[in-house]
Amino acid sequence: MKHKLMIVDDSMIIRNHITRLMSDPRLPQFEIVGLAGDGERALALAKERRPDCITMDLTMPNMDGEACIEQLAACLPETRILVVSALADKATALRALTKGAHGFVHKPFSDDALVTSLLELME
Amino acid sequence: MNFRALTPEDIEVFSEAISNFFNLMTRQAAQVKTAYVFKEAAPILWNDFNGLIQVSGGFRGSIAFSAPRGLLNEILIVMGEADKTDAHFLDIVGEIANQLSGRARKHFGEALDISTPISCERDGFPLHTTAQGPAYAIPLTWGPYEAHLVVHLDLVRKG
Repeated sequence: MKHKLMIVDDSMIIRNHITRLMSDPRLPQFEIVGLAGDGERALALAKERRPDCITMDLTMPNMDGEACIEQLAACLPETRILVVSALADKATALRALTKGAHGFVHKPFSDDALVTSLLELME
Repeated sequence: MNFRALTPEDIEVFSEAISNFFNLMTRQAAQVKTAYVFKEAAPILWNDFNGLIQVSGGFRGSIAFSAPRGLLNEILIVMGEADKTDAHFLDIVGEIANQLSGRARKHFGEALDISTPISCERDGFPLHTTAQGPAYAIPLTWGPYEAHLVVHLDLVRKG
């Protein structure tokens, strides 16, 4: 069974980039079930599509990533969340992990770094 | 609150962020040049596309990335983006400003509270910031293209 992945980022370019990475031969077990550009949309879409995993930006309009992670952890505790964010300080990473994220990748990221992190996320 | 202007050491953090971005995202190094201080009180961004991040928390002011269409077009190609409309250029210039600002938090810590990006095309984009210290332009070349990171920040003085 494939892992249902949702991509959350306010940048269309980043959403497209991660989408293209799903054709990497190391990720045949992932399928994209939703894309969202802010936390509010992500939360609504996640409740509907029930993804197994989510890549989550932090700095977003409407609802930021931290608030979205906190709500997702409460309503979809089985969903694994990989933060993909430009915020590179340790305090932010720790706070995201405390609120329910399972991994953290800093932007800018290499394709290899994201592929490896997604594989580790779903191990 | 009592603020101070950025120091050359602070500015170096942004130069390193530029190098890191181009190395990781494009695998082609950018040549980061010496930063200089804007003489104008309100610097105006002059390139085709501009992405602006407003900062708050322990800072006040803004961080902006200003780049020509050609440079952004090449970055989109490297990232595998097939479509290249103005919407794509506005998106990527804002995302670069976001990534460069976010990287700086590794040095400054979470006191550097950054906004979502605001992007626009050339003209009509004066930097209305609350910073009162000098604004720095950090020029870079990447292939045949030149772009600038414009950092206009004051930092809360500690102690």
